Amino acid sequence: MTGADVGPDASGSSPGRKLSQFLPRETVAGIIAIAALALAWHLASIYGPSYAFPTWGRIARALINIPLQDVGISIARLAVSMLLSFVIGMIFSTLVFERPFVEALLLPLVRLLMAVPAVCWVIFAILWFKGVEFRIFFVMSIVCTPVFIIDSLDAMKGVPLDLRQMVRSFRPDAVRYYTKLIFPSILPYVLTSWKINLTLAVRVVTIAELVGAVSGIGHGLVIAQEMFSIAEVFAWTVVLVLILLALQGLVNVIERRTLHWRTA
Amino acid sequence: MPLHDQPAIFDMADAKPVISLDRVTVRFGDQVAVNDLTFSVAGEEVVALLGQTGAGKSTVLNLILGQIKATAGAVIVDGCDPYADYYALRGKVAVSFQTDRLLPWRTARENVELGLEILGRPKNSRSRVAAEWLNRLKLTEAHHDKYPHQLSGGMRQRVSLARALVVDPDLILLDESFSQLDHVTSKALRTDFLSLVKGLRKTCVLVTHRIDDALEMADRIIILAVPGEIKLELTLSGAARNDPAWISAATKQISAVMTAHSGEGAPESADAV
Ligand SMILES: Nc1ncnc2c1ncn2[C@@H]1O[C@H](COP(=O)(O)OP(=O)(O)O)[C@@H](O)[C@H]1O
Ligand SMILES: [Mg+2]
Repeated sequence: MTGADVGPDASGSSPGRKLSQFLPRETVAGIIAIAALALAWHLASIYGPSYAFPTWGRIARALINIPLQDVGISIARLAVSMLLSFVIGMIFSTLVFERPFVEALLLPLVRLLMAVPAVCWVIFAILWFKGVEFRIFFVMSIVCTPVFIIDSLDAMKGVPLDLRQMVRSFRPDAVRYYTKLIFPSILPYVLTSWKINLTLAVRVVTIAELVGAVSGIGHGLVIAQEMFSIAEVFAWTVVLVLILLALQGLVNVIERRTLHWRTA
Repeated sequence: MPLHDQPAIFDMADAKPVISLDRVTVRFGDQVAVNDLTFSVAGEEVVALLGQTGAGKSTVLNLILGQIKATAGAVIVDGCDPYADYYALRGKVAVSFQTDRLLPWRTARENVELGLEILGRPKNSRSRVAAEWLNRLKLTEAHHDKYPHQLSGGMRQRVSLARALVVDPDLILLDESFSQLDHVTSKALRTDFLSLVKGLRKTCVLVTHRIDDALEMADRIIILAVPGEIKLELTLSGAARNDPAWISAATKQISAVMTAHSGEGAPESADAV
């Protein structure tokens, strides 16, 4: 469904545009705020204690020396466990949707799981399982899956009844009912759910790695803390923020691609 | 698919009805929506179910569609029970509603393709067949690749009718499909739709609360009143339809019956004109 002609009023570039058209006001304001914060940090690193405020130079050196392998491992753990949580969540929602009894039976359990703090799952994981990789995987899945379930199920229930009736009038099998109507309908909500869940998942994977892992960003943070290297802690933090922003940016791109009809 | 111009010929005496309702009652909780209703529709007949809001018209359509089950009585469509033999009527019945119910993420053409996809019709011809039907319903090519929100209400309703007709159903159901359009748009669309239905010799049940819609389109009009009971039945010949005096007499009689049975009016039996 790409390549649809957007029409005459989708304006291309026009000559003589002001700077504000390339850089919206809000973006400029954001840049100013971040620059101010960076400057404040710089001043603190000059006048404050060096163990609390490392200079930008030291942070930059720490950033350059960050082992990319650890970053890759954490991203892989994040991606695999989130994708799996998503698939499990969608299968669950699909099976529960339009089956009120099954929903009444299972949904309270899902809500209960969701109320348990992530840190508790980390501790349970340590007590229950030996394998480090499995522990991380378990914690991630048990935290992310319920969020995907609740969000997708809510979205499914929001599919207008008149559209469901219309599609049913063609007497579709279950597969087509979902692929032609339900899944495309809930897509915007699913993408929003991904963005929210990413924020959660980046934190959780780090916490899970803090305990017992011998690789990954969380492990790097532990080492940095043991060596009292504030510059390295700061560098890892920057990496975590960048990962989150990049992944959310990816979802935004997917959103723009798949929901382009809205602005057509 | 060639269109024929000759009028549909049907013989109600020996033709097996396409639809038959036999003493059908539908209750929602305590509420009786349809009460002991019996009627049948012959092949190639266009029947209007006319009545005010709450008369049970949509409930009757849902029975024919097989979306709900009768509390009592029998519904037979094309020889099957549309509720119990759900898949037996696949591709044989299509419906269009008061609102267009188009999928907002699909273009006009893709919306028309929906039924073809669900019914697993050949992939390589879907787009062409959909475009043909949009043309038949007089949606110009320039609009085929527009999204619903880029089309006017009348255009969207044309797409919705094309989506119903494209699967080549034997039976077409319309639930107030022209009611939300302005008079000029509605009139044009009714004319276009009717000539297609007659040309293709389809059977059609159309639900409406507008007397003029029913008189213009139907071979037979069934007037329903709360709770889903027949109050009057009229058969229109071609001659009658073109006779203004007959039309105005029929309009008067129908509106008298509808008024008498609106609200808590006392039941009253009326005979055909
Ligand atoms: N799903 C339903 N649940 C409960 N009551 C319903 C339902 N569908 C219709 N009804 C009731 O049945 C009666 C007939 O409704 P309907 O067939 O929609 O009438 P019409 O289409 O003629 O306006 C109304 O009183 C309506 O409130
Ligand atoms: Mg209705």
